[in-house]
Amino acid sequence: MTGPHGVLLFGLSLAASTIGGMLGMAGGVLIVPALTMVGVEIRTAIAASIVSVIASSCASAAPLLRSRLTNVRLALVLELATTLGAVSGVFLTGWLPTSLLFLVFAVVLLASAKQMLTRRVEAASVAKATPAEWGTVLRLHGSYVEPSTGAEIGYVVRRLPSAMALMYAAGVISALLGIGSGVLKIPAMDTALRLPLKVSSATSNFMIGVTAAASAGAYFLRGDIEPAIAGPVALGSVVGALLGARLFVVVSSERLRMLFVVVLGLLALQMTLQGFGIHLFGAMS
Amino acid sequence: MSPAPDGLHRTLASVLEVGTWLASALVTAGLFLSHATVVLVGIGLFISLPIVRVVVMFAAFTRGRDGWGAAIAGLVLTIIVLGVVLGAAG
Repeated sequence: MTGPHGVLLFGLSLAASTIGGMLGMAGGVLIVPALTMVGVEIRTAIAASIVSVIASSCASAAPLLRSRLTNVRLALVLELATTLGAVSGVFLTGWLPTSLLFLVFAVVLLASAKQMLTRRVEAASVAKATPAEWGTVLRLHGSYVEPSTGAEIGYVVRRLPSAMALMYAAGVISALLGIGSGVLKIPAMDTALRLPLKVSSATSNFMIGVTAAASAGAYFLRGDIEPAIAGPVALGSVVGALLGARLFVVVSSERLRMLFVVVLGLLALQMTLQGFGIHLFGAMS
Repeated sequence: MSPAPDGLHRTLASVLEVGTWLASALVTAGLFLSHATVVLVGIGLFISLPIVRVVVMFAAFTRGRDGWGAAIAGLVLTIIVLGVVLGAAG
């Protein structure tokens, strides 16, 4: 079971997860195309990827929790929407034709590439909390310590309902494609909730695990998860998540981001071709 | 000075950390021994970690008499359990 194939899968997922971690995102969006390229069937690739998404979320959560960047209460509220979306996604996979799955994936890859190109803007809300808004009722407002200055910065959670709608969509996409769907979570957190960037990244990472668990649990009980594929992929992403988080601070990310945009674009092209039944790389299976 | 992490943050960090090591160890052992069941148990543990994390939050909020917190945690757990059971059957 460990033959060269397992080592190859481990290596692919290690690379995807390390690169993802360096850019502050989960590697799921890279893992699925990489797996289909080496001949893994897309539904098996999605089931393996969703496990690896959980693994890397859990592996990288501890330091973010200890530094209190993660808003666990807000995460829980948003998880109402993401888990509901994930459950819908599980039912959707049943009747969505495989070719369409490839095309939806290509669209998400392009959206991720576009997001990489646009800089995230710090738009944390500085206005005072009002007693009637959801953030106040559910006690979601918080504060974090800016690592560079050591100053404690308070923030207010805004526009919860519109963020919940985006989170539901993120949950659907996550279950459908086996990815963390940061592509929808990040805009929801940055622009709808108006969270500080560090808080939104940490909270999004924390939520990914629970969202993915809802669909992964169903795939697991259905017997869709192949240990020989999901095992090495999960291990690779744990190591990659830990490595990527370390490199995140070291590497100057501008050139890396551009490289990543190109990679995402190429993967989108490749997934589109596969959706139409054209295989660029001789599939091994 | 950074504020000391409160109990819940610390507990959650430890649960996820220990769980990740344990699950990774199981998957690694299973792969080296070519034992698919051990790998599957490890993967099952990975999948259950976030669910355990919500259970821990539910317990903490209940103990702290935080009605909203406990209700939301309970609802998230219900959605996950129903989703897993119905999704597996469907």
